[in-house]
Amino acid sequence: MQAAERLKIEEVIAQQGYYAGPTVGVSMLPMLKERRDTIVVRAKTEKLKPLDVALYRRGNAYVLHRVLYPTPTGYIIRGDNCYSNENIPEEDVFGVLTEFYRKDKHYYCTDKKYLKYAKRRVKTYKFRRFFVRLWVCFKAVVKKILRFFGWRRNNNGKESNV
Amino acid sequence: MKIKNGFVVRRVADQCVVVPVGEMSKKFRGMINLNATGEFLWSFYTKEHTLEEGVAALTAEYDVAEDVARADVERFIKTLTENGFAD
Repeated sequence: MQAAERLKIEEVIAQQGYYAGPTVGVSMLPMLKERRDTIVVRAKTEKLKPLDVALYRRGNAYVLHRVLYPTPTGYIIRGDNCYSNENIPEEDVFGVLTEFYRKDKHYYCTDKKYLKYAKRRVKTYKFRRFFVRLWVCFKAVVKKILRFFGWRRNNNGKESNV
Repeated sequence: MKIKNGFVVRRVADQCVVVPVGEMSKKFRGMINLNATGEFLWSFYTKEHTLEEGVAALTAEYDVAEDVARADVERFIKTLTENGFAD
């Protein structure tokens, strides 16, 4: 084992052929759980297809989200746990997820079981978005009702009667 | 010496790769590539063992002279401790 080098992910992929590491964030739930699962990303060698999971730069951050469909200049992308699309230029995308470990179980992104999940996740988006919006509206209404009856949380999060 | 908790061993393209998980992934962002010897020693030092025990285990596992094994194990331990992977 040689001494550690500090490299960017793009440099690791160029040097090693792949990058393997943990995920950070909740945007790809339920497929990938933050800091538990391991992703393996390889260099993008051709135009990505729908359902591919792209690794791209957003400012100083790296983002791993799913391609919905390609455009002439890039891709329309959305995380599995996100409810808005992004238009990402081709030049910002430098990697694609090829395999991953979910807990200790290994999956290739060509596995039938995984592809079935990916298709279902995209297909059920409008249905899930409807219920998320419904839930957000419900919480807002409940909050207003509680405030109307004089029961609200103060800035410390403690209950108080006003 | 013992390797800290918070690392998992994965196989990628027939290569052994160690990646951090959980709280360790907040401190260490990266991956560790191990060759066959490194993989053996990593597995060995997930439990508390001394340098001498590592040398004995390596010479028992591989057909290698003791001085070569000692140099490998010392270099392995040094790299781990320098990078904060081991206690």
